[in-house]
Amino acid sequence: MMTDFMLFLPELFFILGAIVFFIFSLRKKADPAAYHKWAVVIGAVGLLVTVAASRQGGMLFFDCYRVDLFSQVFKVLLALGTIWVIFSSGELKGIDPRQHAEYYFLIFVCTLAMMMLVSSVELLTIYVSIELSSYSLYLLVPMRRKADEFVETGIKYFMVGVTASGLMLFGISLLFGMAHTTYIPQLIQTLPGIISQPATIIGLILALSGFFFKLALFPFHIWAPDVYQGSANQVTTYIATASKMAAAAMIIRFTGLSAGASPGMIKLLIVLSILSMTFGNLVALIQKDIKRLLAYSSIAHAGYMLIGILALSDRGYASAIYYAAAYLVMNYSVFMVIMKLADDGHNLQIKELAGLHKRSPLLALTLMLGLFGLAGIPPTAGFMGKFLVFAAALEKGYLFLVIIGMINATISLYYYLIVIKAAYLLKPVNELPAVQVDFWTRCMCVVLVVMTIYLGVFPDQFVLLTEAAAKTLF
Amino acid sequence: MEMAGFPILTAILSTTILGLLIIIFIPPEKTKLIKQVSLASATVGLVLCIWLYYAYDHQKGGLQFVERILWVKSLGIYWFNGVDGINLPMMLLTSIVLFTAIWTMWELENRVKEFFALIFLLVAGVYGVFMSMDLFWIFVWYDVSLFPMYPLIAIWGGTRKEYGAMKLTLYLLAGSALILPAIIYLWVAGGAHTFDLFELQRIGFSAFDQKMTFIMLYLGFGILAAVWPFHTWSPVGHVAAPTAVSMIHAGVLMKLGAYGILRIGMTLCPAGAQYWSSLMALLACIGIVYGALVGLAQTDLKYVIGYSSVSHMGVVGLGLATMSVNGINGAVFQMFAHGVMTALFFSSVGYIYDRTHTKIIPELGGLSKTMPIASSFFIVAALAGIGVPLMASFWAELLVFIAAVKVFPVGGIAALVGLIISALFMLRVVQRTFYGEKNPKWEHIPDVSGFLAVPRVILMSIILFFGMFPKIMLDVIQSTVIPFVNRF
Repeated sequence: MMTDFMLFLPELFFILGAIVFFIFSLRKKADPAAYHKWAVVIGAVGLLVTVAASRQGGMLFFDCYRVDLFSQVFKVLLALGTIWVIFSSGELKGIDPRQHAEYYFLIFVCTLAMMMLVSSVELLTIYVSIELSSYSLYLLVPMRRKADEFVETGIKYFMVGVTASGLMLFGISLLFGMAHTTYIPQLIQTLPGIISQPATIIGLILALSGFFFKLALFPFHIWAPDVYQGSANQVTTYIATASKMAAAAMIIRFTGLSAGASPGMIKLLIVLSILSMTFGNLVALIQKDIKRLLAYSSIAHAGYMLIGILALSDRGYASAIYYAAAYLVMNYSVFMVIMKLADDGHNLQIKELAGLHKRSPLLALTLMLGLFGLAGIPPTAGFMGKFLVFAAALEKGYLFLVIIGMINATISLYYYLIVIKAAYLLKPVNELPAVQVDFWTRCMCVVLVVMTIYLGVFPDQFVLLTEAAAKTLF
Repeated sequence: MEMAGFPILTAILSTTILGLLIIIFIPPEKTKLIKQVSLASATVGLVLCIWLYYAYDHQKGGLQFVERILWVKSLGIYWFNGVDGINLPMMLLTSIVLFTAIWTMWELENRVKEFFALIFLLVAGVYGVFMSMDLFWIFVWYDVSLFPMYPLIAIWGGTRKEYGAMKLTLYLLAGSALILPAIIYLWVAGGAHTFDLFELQRIGFSAFDQKMTFIMLYLGFGILAAVWPFHTWSPVGHVAAPTAVSMIHAGVLMKLGAYGILRIGMTLCPAGAQYWSSLMALLACIGIVYGALVGLAQTDLKYVIGYSSVSHMGVVGLGLATMSVNGINGAVFQMFAHGVMTALFFSSVGYIYDRTHTKIIPELGGLSKTMPIASSFFIVAALAGIGVPLMASFWAELLVFIAAVKVFPVGGIAALVGLIISALFMLRVVQRTFYGEKNPKWEHIPDVSGFLAVPRVILMSIILFFGMFPKIMLDVIQSTVIPFVNRF
C-alpha cells in the first residue's frame, strides 16, 4: 500500500498544490504576490518530488496506470515546464489579479492531468486524463484581461476541442468493439489480427486524431495560431511547452502501437508528417505576431517529431523523447524572453524586438540561442534532436522523408532569422529604455543557455537515458 | 581512448573558443582590449599551426597527432582529430587568414565586441571541419562555421547587405540539407555503429550507395565551393561582407566545400566519384570559363574578385575531378594558394574602400600614384590570380591543367582558354584602377601605414614564398595524396 503511494507521489503532490490554490481562490481579497511565491515553492518542490520518483516502476489501479522510466521522464519534463511557467508568472499582467488563484489552481490541475496521461495504458483512463487537462485549458485560454477582445479564441478552442474529444471517444468505442479490450498491452496483441477490418482502422485513426489535436499536427492544427495569439502570454507558454510534452508522450505510445500493426498506417503518418512540416513552415514565413509565428513553428515541429516515431524502433522513440525535451528547453527560452518583454501582457510583434541587443544583451542571447535551437543549428540541443530523429528514420530507409525534413529546416531558418534580425539589427523607431532583468531571470537565462548547449554538445548520458526510457515503452 | 601526447589540435581549436569566451566577458566599450585579445589568440593559433606544419613528418605520411575519444556511445560518435597532407595546409591557411583578417580589421569601431566574438565562432567551425575525422563532428563544425556569416554580413556589411546575408545563409544551409542525410545514410549503410571516417572507409560501401551519397555530398558541399550553377550566392555575399569576413569567407570558408568533397565524398565513395567525375569536370570547366567571362563585365572591384573566385574554385573542382595524383595535388595546393591570394585581394580592396568609400572601378583610377604601397598589394594578388610564375598559384594551376588535359582534353583546354581570358580581365582591372588618369578626389588619401601594411605584407610574402619553394608544400600534400589515389 505504502509503495503504491510512493508510485503516485508526484501526482499526489500536484493534487495538494491544486487544493492549496483552490482554498486561496475562495478568499475574498486577492494577494497576487503571495500567490506567486507559494506557487513557485510548490512547483519547485513538485519538480524535486518528481525527480526523486523518477526511478520507480510498477502498476497501479487495476493495471490501468503504469509507472515506468518512460512516464517518469515525461513527468519530470512536465514538472519542469510547469515550474518554468510559474516562474515567469511573477508579473501576470495579462490576467485579472482576482483570477490569479484560479490561474495557479488550473495550472496545477492541468499538470496533474497530464502526468496521469503519460502513465495511462488504458483507453478510458487516457480519455479521462485528456479531458481533465483539456477542461483546465478551456478555462485558462479565455482567462485574459481584455477577455471580450479574445473571446472568440476561447470559444473556438472549446468547440474544436470537444469535437476532437467526441471523435476520439467514438474511435475508442470502435476499437473496443473490435478488440474487446481497452488495455493497450492487450490491444498490441490483438491488433495485428483485426487490422484489416475497416472499423479497426477508422477507430485507430479517430483515436489518434485526438492526440494529434493536442500536438497541433496538420490538419488538426487550426486552433493553434488563434489560441497562441489569444491567450495570455503565460498560458500560451504553458500550452507551447508543458502541454506539448504530454501530447508527445501520448503520440509516441499510441502511434507506435497503431503504426506497428499496419503498413498503411505508416504511409498515412508519413503524409501527415510531411504536410505538417511543410504547411507549418510555409505559413510561419509571413507572420508578424511572434506568438502566431511560434504557433506555426510548433505545427512544423510536431511533424519533425513524428519522423522519429515513424521509425518504430527503440532508437526512434528515444529520439522523439530527446526531441521533446530539447523542444521544451528551446521553446521556453524564446517564450521567456517574450513574457519578459511584454510584461504588460500584450501580444508582442516581431518589430518590437528592435534594438533588443542593446536593451538587454542577455535576453537577446537567450532568444537567439533558443531560435537557433528551434532551427536545428549545431551545437544546440535542437540540432541533436533533429539529428537523432533523422538518424532513426534513415535507419529504416526513409531517405526521402529525411531530405524533406532537412529542406523544411532550411525554410524555417528564414523566419527564425527574421526574428533574430529584429533583435540584433533593426533600429527601434523610438529609443526604448534598457530592460530591467532581475537576478533570478538572469540566472534562468544562463541556465537555459547552458542547457541548450550542453544537451547539444554532450548528449551521451541523455541519449542513454532516453533509450532506456524507450525500452520500457512496450 | 587514444592520445598521442599533447592534444595540439584540440589546443588550436581552443584558442578560438577561449578567445570567444574571453571577449564575451570584456565590457563592450573596451574596444582596444578586445582587439588585442583577438590578435593574441589568433597569434597563438598561428604559432601552433606553424609548429604543427613543421612537426608533421611527411616521410611517414598518413594521419598524425591523432586524438580519439568515444563521445556518444550509442551512436558511435568519436571526438576524433588528426592531420594529414590534405588538411595540414588547410589548417595553416586558416590560421594565416584569421591572423591577417583580425589585423586588417584594426580600425573597426562599430560593435567591436560582437564582431570579433562572431569571427572566432566562425573560425572555430572552420578549424573543426579541417581537423575532425568523424562525420558527425565535421557536419557540426560545418554548420557552426556557416551561421555566424549571417550577422557578420547583415550588421557590418556594405552593398545590399541584408539581401546578401540572407541569400548566402539559405543557400549554404540548403547545401547542408543534402549533406546531413548523406552522412547519416553512410552511417546506416556502415552498420549504424560508427561515424569514424576511417572505420567507414574500411567497411566500404556498395556501388549504388556510393553513387547516391556522392552526388548528395557533391551538390551539398559544392554549393559552398561555389560550383557553377550554385555559385550565385558567392559574388553577392562577398560584395556585401565586411573586409575581414570576405577574407575569411573567400579565403577559407569556400575551401570547406572542396575539402568536404575530397575528405568525405572521395574518401568514402571512390566509385561514386569515378561515376560522377565527368559531371564534376563539366561543371568545373563551365565555372572556370563562366567566372572569367562574367568577371569581364564587372565594374565593382569586389564583384571582380568574387567572380574570379568562382573561376579559381573551378580549378580546384577540375583538379579533384581528374582523380589523379597531379590533379589532386594541384587542387589542394590551389585551395591554399587561392586562399592566401583572395585574402590579400580583399584586404587591399578593403583598405581602398575604407578610404575612398567606393569600389567602382571607373571612379577610382590612377591609384598607384597616390598610394603606391596599397596598390602594390592588389597588383601582386592580381598577378597571383593570373598565375604568373613565381606565385604559389602558378604551380597549383600548372599541376591541375597537366592532369586535366590528359583526362579531359576538351574541357581542360577550354578551361585553359578561360584562364587566359581571366588573365586579360585582371590586367584590365589593374590598368583601369591603378594606372591611367588620376582622379584628383583621392589625392589627399594617405598611403597604408606601416602598422596596417603588416598583414598584407605577410600574405604577399607567403604567396611568393610558396611560389618559389612549392616543394615545401607539395611534399606534404603528396604524402597523403599518393596513397589516396592508389586506392581508387
